[in-house]
Amino acid sequence: MTTRKLLKISAMAVSLVVLLALVAWVMFVPQATGNGYVFIEAWGSHGSEPGQFDDPTGIAVTEDEVFVADSRNGRIQVFDHEGQFKRAFGTPGKAIGELGRPMNLTVHDGELYVPEYMNDRIQIFSLEGEPRRMIGTPGDGPGEFNAPGGVAVAANGEVFVADFYNHRVQQLSADGEFVCQWGKTGETGHQAGEFTYPTDVMLAENETLYVADGYGNRIQAFNRRGEFLYKWGGPLALGIYGPFNGWFSTVTGLTVGPANNILAADFHNDRIQVFTPQGAFLNTFGETGDKPGQFNNPIAMDVAPNGTVFVADFQNDRIEKWRPSVEPVR
Amino acid sequence: MTTPRLHAALLALVVSLISTIAMATGPSYQVKVDGLACPFCAYGIEKQLNKIAGVEVLETDIEGGRVIVTMDDGQTLDESQVEQAVDRAGFTMKGFEPLDTADSQ
Repeated sequence: MTTRKLLKISAMAVSLVVLLALVAWVMFVPQATGNGYVFIEAWGSHGSEPGQFDDPTGIAVTEDEVFVADSRNGRIQVFDHEGQFKRAFGTPGKAIGELGRPMNLTVHDGELYVPEYMNDRIQIFSLEGEPRRMIGTPGDGPGEFNAPGGVAVAANGEVFVADFYNHRVQQLSADGEFVCQWGKTGETGHQAGEFTYPTDVMLAENETLYVADGYGNRIQAFNRRGEFLYKWGGPLALGIYGPFNGWFSTVTGLTVGPANNILAADFHNDRIQVFTPQGAFLNTFGETGDKPGQFNNPIAMDVAPNGTVFVADFQNDRIEKWRPSVEPVR
Repeated sequence: MTTPRLHAALLALVVSLISTIAMATGPSYQVKVDGLACPFCAYGIEKQLNKIAGVEVLETDIEGGRVIVTMDDGQTLDESQVEQAVDRAGFTMKGFEPLDTADSQ
């Protein structure tokens, strides 16, 4: 084979690779559309004093208050929307009212639902901090948990739990009786309806169930009858992680925002990603760092009724506050 | 007993108690874990290590990928038990070494 032929074949091969890369980029890396978000303020630092955090791992927002799971301090801290400390409840432990690493929080019908990673239960408090009841015990049987990471509550009171180490999502009645589950207990998987360490769950207004498939690096959606709807995150949502638009590097929290858009905490990519309810990528906010408007492993977020977003910035031990931008993303 | 003497006695008691507690702490070990990246996995390893008898304190350094395990006085930590605990948490142990007291500070 002559040198000229070799060069020709090499050039064709390189062209083909470039072409395939371009096609893959167009297919699997969507461009930002819609409005973005603007940083407003942040509060908190490392410690155990009021207003300080030692691993903020979850957040829930009401019309006038922000509840933060201050995990290693074994407590819930409550702030107003400007970050002024109001009260705290819980201490580390296993007894009623004590907390073993509280995770992704949910407020439903005037109560705070707290998944406890170490105690394998969901503990329910009044918003003032009074412990009311508990759901679940340790284990891998129906209605049992192994490190629950997130919880969602339907209008009828049914509870959905991301059962992290059991690689499943459980649906329970309001008093904790097992109804059904998604995923195979104790088995990871990348097919539809299978999970790899699910970290959080969320119910949209129409009661579509969204699951943050944590180390599966994707989000899966199911209808109210439990049927699989769609999944997204990286190429074909097969578990491939990455830094591109619409990809994840460990998705740790979910919430619903204006227009029923889905916000997802993209932990290792130091950003929050925003999607349509069907999973089409819209935009992203945040970048790596410890300066205002930057994140060092954002783990969870929630949206106030006025659209303001509060983010638990895990490694920076603080809460960041953002608002929707009126400027279109260019 | 006069007030200054009472204060001195109380202070001596507190110092003595603190010293006793400090002396009661057993040996420390550094456990290196591959892929220790977020609280969901770090807490899982802590949860499993806490099930080992004699473990008193766990300090996790997520960014450094290591856990410092301090035992109760008179207790030692068995490497194979740690390896099993890390394995149950879904991770692989990459290193295990006893620490001098000065190293663990």
